Formats: sequence, structure tokens, C-alpha cells
Amino acid sequence: MIDPMTVLAILAMAGVTYLTRIGGYVVLRNRTLSARATAVMEAAPGCVLISVIAPDFVSKNPANLAALAITVLAATRLSMLPTVVIGVASAGALRWLMG
Amino acid sequence: MSVSEIALAEGQISQGRGGEFRRGLAASTPVLLGIIPYALVLGAQGAQKGLSVVEVPMMTGFNFAGGSEFAAIQLWTSPPHILLIAAITFLVNSRHLLMGAALAPFLAHLPKRKVFPALFLMCDESWAVGLADAQRRAAQGLRPAFSLPFYLGAALPFYLAWVVFTTCGAALGPVLGDVEKYGFAMAFPAVFLVLMRGMWKGFAAARPWLVSLVVAALTYLIVPGAWYVAAGALSGLAAACFLAGDK
Repeated sequence: MIDPMTVLAILAMAGVTYLTRIGGYVVLRNRTLSARATAVMEAAPGCVLISVIAPDFVSKNPANLAALAITVLAATRLSMLPTVVIGVASAGALRWLMG
Repeated sequence: MSVSEIALAEGQISQGRGGEFRRGLAASTPVLLGIIPYALVLGAQGAQKGLSVVEVPMMTGFNFAGGSEFAAIQLWTSPPHILLIAAITFLVNSRHLLMGAALAPFLAHLPKRKVFPALFLMCDESWAVGLADAQRRAAQGLRPAFSLPFYLGAALPFYLAWVVFTTCGAALGPVLGDVEKYGFAMAFPAVFLVLMRGMWKGFAAARPWLVSLVVAALTYLIVPGAWYVAAGALSGLAAACFLAGDK
């Protein structure tokens, strides 16, 4: 039910996340960031998110690639919920249709 | 949270702390309904990676940062690579540093014993709602501009919903079986892409993302294991640092 390594990983995540939450208040409240540091901080979350899903962009399954194209299109126009519904439905349907 | 929803919430006349708390609840409710599907998907994916019905709420309750949890679950192995997961968590959540810095001037009137617990609940949504409200109140000349009960009213329901519905997802996931075959795996790219659309500030600002995508995809094809995330993220950050020099 509870694995020690899993708990350790979760505690590491929780500690790191809490440090990021208080870090800005503690360290940066009396300073201004350089333009370069701000640019890097602003780009960071997107760089991480796109890196995590990068394998989907080079999938060897044509159904997955087609579903990803539909999902990208949906994400540029729609809000979170419809995009997820369209992404999941198109992936499920295309996998079924294209084997 | 759209401007009209904030306007709706501010239309209510609030009386005292209870009123402020309820005003926060009203401001966050529309966004709250939107997070339930992600919580269910995250819980189901966690169960599929071998996390138990106790471990999933432990993660979502102690960490309480959805983006990093989606990323961690995606990279989860048995046993997990603790350093990799901690590093990715930091990179995904590094935006909190900027968010906290932006909020800091509005927190000056509060003692640290209240600020530190309140910051535990700071997520994209509660931060956005709390900061927007503080800026509006400051413009109206209300002091203090930042209303802690309003912020808690907006943040606490998020926390409860996130923990409860990720747990439901973990409990229901095994009943659904292999969520992969229903196409649920596409929920991750969908969530991430919409989050990125929200961060979009034009093509020039998005160039580091393209660098990350290309480097991560190539690394994924060439190098076994989960190194593609670190390689993609770091090359994107290097690109951002380099490109910031042109201005």
C-alpha cells in the first residue's frame, strides 16, 4: 500500500515545491530580477512541459500522430476541458479505426 | 478565471471575514469545476504506474502542484528516480518563484506565521485570483489590498477538490483497466498544450520551447531512459538565456 521509495520521492517533490512557493517571497521580495533572469524564468515552465510530451511528437503510431495534430489544433482555440475531451476521443477513435 | 468571472464575484457586497471567504469561493468556483477531469486522469494514471490509493493523495496533498505531478507520473518508474523527479518538479514549479515575488509586496502587512501556510496553497489559479483581487482593491484605495480570507476562500476548495478527485481517479483507474486503449494518454499533451497556450507571449518568446521540443524529441529517439526531459528543458533554458541577450 505504501512503498518507502515512493514516499521518499513524494516528500522530495513536496519539499522542492514548497521551496519554490516561499522562495519568491523570501528571496525576491526586496529585489528586482535582471531582464535575462526574468526571460529564463518565464520560458522555464513551457520548456519543461513541451520536453515531457516531446515523445508524442515522434510517435511511431500514425493514429497517435494524427490525434496529436487534432489536439494541438484544439489547444490553440479551446479551453482545457473541451481540448482534453477532443484529444482523448480522437486518440481513442483513431486507434480503433487505424488499428 | 476570466475578467467577467472576477467582475461577477466582486459585484457581491462582502461583510467581514466570512463574507470575504465566500467572495473567494464565488471567484474560484467556475475554475474548480474545470480541474475535476484532470484530477481524475492524474489519479488513474498514477494507479496505472503502481501508486496506491494512499500514495496518490499523499502526492497530491503534500505537493499540490498539478503540472509537476503530471510530469512526475509520466516519468514514474518502480522504484522512482528520486533526483530526476525532484529536478523536474523544481523546473516545472520554478514559476512559483516569480509568482511569489509578484505577490510579496501585497503580503507586507501579514505576519510570516500567516504568510508561510498561505503560500503552501498558492497554485496558478489561487495566485491569479488573489493577485487580481489585490490589484483591484489597491486601485479602489482599499487597505489592506490583499484580503487573506478572500484568498483562502479561493484556494482551499482547490486543494480539497484536487486531493479528493485524484484519489477517486486512483480508485476508479484499475476498474477502467488499461486507460491507454481509450486514448486517455492524450489527456497529458492536451493539458500541457492548453497550459502552454496560457503562457503564450508570441512566437519570439516561444523560441526556447521549440528548441526544447526538438532537442527532447531527438534525445528520446537516440538515448534510452528519461534523459530527454532534462536535455530538452536545459537546452530550452540555455536558448532563453542566449536569446534574452538580443534585446
